[in-house]
Amino acid sequence: MSETLRPVIGQAIAIFIALALGTVVIMVVGESPILVFATLLEGAFGSTERIAGTLLQTTPILVCGIAACISFRGGLFNIGVEGQLFMGGFAAVIVGIYLPLPAGLHMLVGILVAMLAGMAWIAIPAFFRARYNANEVVSTILSNYVAVLLTSYFTIFLFKRPGGWSETAPILPSAYLPELFSFSRLNWGLIIGLALAVAVQLYFRHTSRGYSVSIMGQNLKFAEYGGVDIKRHIFLVLLASGAVGGLAGGIEALGVHHRFMEGFAPGFGFDGVIAALLANGNPIGTIGAALFFGALRSGSLLLEVDTNASREIITVIQALIILSVSAQILMRRRGDSTAAERRWKF
Amino acid sequence: MSHAVELRGIVKRFGTFVANDCVDLVVKAGEIHAIVGENGAGKTTLMNVLFGLLQPDGGEILIDGKPIVVANPRAAIAAGLGMVHQHFKLVPSLTVAENVFLGMERGRAGFVDHKAQIAETERLSRDFGLKVDPTEQVGLLSVGIEQRIEILKVLARGARIIILDEPTAVLTPQESRELFQTLRGFVAQGMTVIFITHHLEEVMAVSDTVTVLRLGRKVDTRPTADVTKNDLVQMMVGRSVSFDRRQREPSTGGTVLSVKDLWCRDDRGLPAVRGVSFDVRAGEVVGIAGVAGNGQTELAEVLSGLRPASHGTFRIHGEDLTAASPRRIRDTGVAHVPGDRVVRGVDRQSSIAANILMGRQDTPPWARGSLIDWAVVRERSSEMMERFDVRASGPDALVKSLSGGNMQKVVLAREFSHDADFLLVDQPTRGVDIGATESIHNEIMRQRADGRAILLISVQLDELIALADRILVMFNGLIMGELPGDSVSEEALGLLMAGVQTGPDRAAVA
Ligand SMILES: Nc1ncnc2c1ncn2[C@@H]1O[C@H](COP(=O)(O)OP(=O)(O)OP(=O)(O)O)[C@@H](O)[C@H]1O
Ligand SMILES: [Mg+2]
Repeated sequence: MSETLRPVIGQAIAIFIALALGTVVIMVVGESPILVFATLLEGAFGSTERIAGTLLQTTPILVCGIAACISFRGGLFNIGVEGQLFMGGFAAVIVGIYLPLPAGLHMLVGILVAMLAGMAWIAIPAFFRARYNANEVVSTILSNYVAVLLTSYFTIFLFKRPGGWSETAPILPSAYLPELFSFSRLNWGLIIGLALAVAVQLYFRHTSRGYSVSIMGQNLKFAEYGGVDIKRHIFLVLLASGAVGGLAGGIEALGVHHRFMEGFAPGFGFDGVIAALLANGNPIGTIGAALFFGALRSGSLLLEVDTNASREIITVIQALIILSVSAQILMRRRGDSTAAERRWKF
Repeated sequence: MSHAVELRGIVKRFGTFVANDCVDLVVKAGEIHAIVGENGAGKTTLMNVLFGLLQPDGGEILIDGKPIVVANPRAAIAAGLGMVHQHFKLVPSLTVAENVFLGMERGRAGFVDHKAQIAETERLSRDFGLKVDPTEQVGLLSVGIEQRIEILKVLARGARIIILDEPTAVLTPQESRELFQTLRGFVAQGMTVIFITHHLEEVMAVSDTVTVLRLGRKVDTRPTADVTKNDLVQMMVGRSVSFDRRQREPSTGGTVLSVKDLWCRDDRGLPAVRGVSFDVRAGEVVGIAGVAGNGQTELAEVLSGLRPASHGTFRIHGEDLTAASPRRIRDTGVAHVPGDRVVRGVDRQSSIAANILMGRQDTPPWARGSLIDWAVVRERSSEMMERFDVRASGPDALVKSLSGGNMQKVVLAREFSHDADFLLVDQPTRGVDIGATESIHNEIMRQRADGRAILLISVQLDELIALADRILVMFNGLIMGELPGDSVSEEALGLLMAGVQTGPDRAAVA
């Protein structure tokens, strides 16, 4: 079996196992698996509008997935993408409301500020990881909760729209990320995500710094020996990853919701991390994985309408996928490594 | 005598490359069977097939006269085989006993019975004369001890036929002698030993039978008593090879490296280098001898910026680099062949080209601006592979698919082509076959003639004697003495390495 194909086949088997287990769960709760899967497909791809809906869900997962990929490539785990997304989204909305600028420019500034916010949000975990080798998994996970609660506090107590729910006032139309079609909220965020995936892939393959980071991710001691400034690169990689996490929030804010509210983006950041894991840290592969999760999400909407199965079934299937993918990755690593070259080090 | 192992017509291909081409091998029960051959001759591959790590594309395997299918290592272990690999596979964070029983933990009701594991490790260690402390953490131990643990692992699984892949590559001469005593003990107890080596003295000293492989084919199997070292060299490389002291012009260059009262600590925080001072001049090879674990590796790490010095200085061309980063030290003109190639020397997951690129990813013509020119990288890599005789399908081959010796040649190719004024060379021929060792020695002498300053750290005394202008002997973090390369005896070196100072050199130490 060729070296590049092996992980792909492994992941496919993992997904297959997860779906098979999902089938069992569906039967246990007394539903017909065929009906459930057919409804899912129908809900995700049944019409042009539904396809657009799927892509709308895919976009933030994709961008968050790319954020995770960037950290994975450097051998790091940014699990805080969700938090960076919240901070980025909130910052973009503030710019969208309070900083009137010409159309277009306004949107660009909003996106930029979103990225800076994501970057700022990971800066502390990044600093402690680079300087003191403090585990970034723990610190980025914790930073998620702070981000979600902090933005929700700001929204409710400082920026709440008078008379409305727990949400801010709408942003000015000059800050809107343009929509692609008239019949859907699907917007330029998708194009940005696709372009970014290609750009990140090319970056790691063709630039000096991308090369240094990839090698660092695979064998830190070798990179250090070869003269790569480890601390500096760890810090920069995490900042870049956080910036893309913030970008995902900016896209959601300026392209979809046009405001910030509590529960702004339910779990896109986590789905993104899983999509990146499923794609083995490859940004192009993440496109496919994000589409898969996007389809599950949008298909599950119809599921609640048309069947008795709850949307939570999808959550269960996702959890099964995470389990089998992690098991698969661990097994592959055990088969082929000396202790010194473990890439995924917790 | 019955046959412990019989291989018939084993064929193993990787893609279109034939690594084993219809190899027959008979190993008699109760013998020590040596397998020799050049890097990439297919020795490891053949043993991996026997041990079930690779599936052959053709041929038959018989154990104790019975044909069996070795589908995986589990089946091999069940048939009484055990293998100690070329690159160890221990878990550094676990203890010795935990490693020995990894994957077959002794226990009750799902709990590991640490006491039983420790007791059993102690028993095995006693029975077979392999001294270890079962409760120590493996990450802190030397390679010599790690190897004992690997052997204990095999014994704990009840092996009667033991395969060792280049067991002595990482050992000092002393440790090698101990290993051979252990192996003698094994056959005395009726076990069978197969071992791979590049050191023909070892073949002559301990084996009963020797098999030579070449380019994936078996050349011959002979009783060791019937062949000479020269016969083996002829069979392996098709010509004779010399390891005599190299002829040389006297070196006249100025000082390149100057080390003054340098101290550093090891990973455990204990002093590893304790105040060493020496110079290396341009056009000079200074050797560092010593039993592994006496501070040589740590010294090399300090000189390459990978380990902080706790006291003292070192300068290159007069520039104080004691606290400089590895990058800055490299930029000043230092190349480093690290002692542990798998950990530091290569990234096994990447291609040969990507490995050769390391350290030059910002330098034209390898990179233009911030973009890497992969066409140039590949082309240069191919040239280097040719010059250093790296045998692989091409620059895109993954390093992990290379044989051990070829991996080492990739490291040498990269470092020796840096045009550095100072070469820090740690165990350059570890795991390298005799033909390639000769050409690496030629390369070191060529670098010397080009006016490079070379610090050569080696546990191979004959290597130091062949190459070094002066030999410093390290013991317990100190330089015990200095011997001139042209009139040194192995005995004199051996005494200093054991920490015994001889008369005239005492002044140099004080
Ligand atoms: N997984 C693999 N994929 C492709 N080629 C391989 C693979 N494993 C080994 N080879 C090739 O097969 C040949 C034989 O390799 P092997 O490791 O058996 O050599 P060896 O005799 O043990 O050499 P050394 O003395 O250097 O350890 C080499 O040319 C190597 O590049
Ligand atoms: Mg080998």
